[in-house]
Amino acid sequence: MGSYFKLMSCRLMLIGMLFSASAHAEPEFLSEDELYGEDVLNGRGISDPFESINRIVFEFNDFVYIEVFDRIGEVYTTITPPAVRRGASNFFNNLKYPVRLAGNLLQARFANAWLETERFVINSTLGLAGTMRPVDGMPRFAPIPKEDLGQALASWGIGNGPYLVLPFWGPSTLRELLGLVGDRVVNPAQAPFSSIDHWKWEHRTALSSAEVVARLTDGYGKIKESQIDAYGALKNGYLQYRRAALDE
Amino acid sequence: MKSVIVIFTCLLSVICLPLMAATDPSQRLISTIEASLDVIYASDFGKASRLEKESLIRSVVENEFNLDILIRRTIGRNWNLMDADEQARVLELVKQLVVKAYIKSLVGRDRPQLSFGQTIHVSSKRLEIDSTILTEGQAIRVMYRLGLMQSGWEIYDIVAEDISVVSNYRQQIDDHFRKGNAANLIQKLQELLQTEDLNDGIVL
Repeated sequence: MGSYFKLMSCRLMLIGMLFSASAHAEPEFLSEDELYGEDVLNGRGISDPFESINRIVFEFNDFVYIEVFDRIGEVYTTITPPAVRRGASNFFNNLKYPVRLAGNLLQARFANAWLETERFVINSTLGLAGTMRPVDGMPRFAPIPKEDLGQALASWGIGNGPYLVLPFWGPSTLRELLGLVGDRVVNPAQAPFSSIDHWKWEHRTALSSAEVVARLTDGYGKIKESQIDAYGALKNGYLQYRRAALDE
Repeated sequence: MKSVIVIFTCLLSVICLPLMAATDPSQRLISTIEASLDVIYASDFGKASRLEKESLIRSVVENEFNLDILIRRTIGRNWNLMDADEQARVLELVKQLVVKAYIKSLVGRDRPQLSFGQTIHVSSKRLEIDSTILTEGQAIRVMYRLGLMQSGWEIYDIVAEDISVVSNYRQQIDDHFRKGNAANLIQKLQELLQTEDLNDGIVL
């Protein structure tokens, strides 16, 4: 019996040594350096030569968001039921189809451009002028990345350029600003050939602005409260978000 | 005989430890998040003081995960610019700030619906768990990044809608240490924590 246990213990020791050897071949756990020394700053690559001006514009935007936009958003969300807000959001999102189409075509993503076209046609007809999104229930039309002209410019190898904070609009870069101008040209809600041209301009502006403002400022104050430096947080968040959109 | 049992137990531990660590930790993550939501959406949560609320959430989360790892990652190499007291103070204050922000993001809203995707093993030491939070008709994608530590799988980053929380705070802390020091940071964190008491106007 004693020799049996000795044999067993020898075998187990051998197994243990084998496991230890394999463990030493590759470190099992994340090291301190891997965990705390890793460069996690994706935003470091962007130059911010206009930081002092950007910070002034940021402070101005912050005041406008909190004191004006947030209140407009609050009123809008109070007086309009969630279903109406969703409908308005869907409607204006559907109207941005030309921006997404141009973004896809300029990146030679023809399959996605065709899918966007199909989504637009179905949402505009079955979805009652785009206020509903019947395509969401169709597996063939699973969401595809939203493309815009800023992404198209990036795909052509144009760099970010300096970081900018635009009045009212918020974080951007020189490249994204050029893309934004292009988006405005092809967006029917903004351009002279608007598909909703017959609306009174004040109705069009009020509804689209209220919808956008309510969406943009939702939770802005809450997020800002937990930031050590809201300017840096917004810059980093914007750049991470855009980089992910470009990678898609 | 005793020595054999000791050797056997030791060896069994050596063999089983990596296997235990390799088990899918998503269930642990899901149950922790659900448990924290249970606390926030309990009927008597609104009556508790700010400190009690934070303490309740922290006990649920810290029972399962070590928040120090997540927070130390946001500090990065700036950690070495602080002395031991400052390190401990900053860790504690950031932890309070994170818990406060978590509670504030949920109060006044309906309980979000959570759905979790597959666990993706990026390497033997890193994995990612995708999730979707459905709140007030909006779907928010949140990915949890976990790393294998001596203590088991720990959260080392949270990525919401493609924005890494660790990267975002690291940017702010790096920027801070370019011009300021640990004492300024502690002061700033204290100010942030005092901005508003969570007891004010909370209706659940």
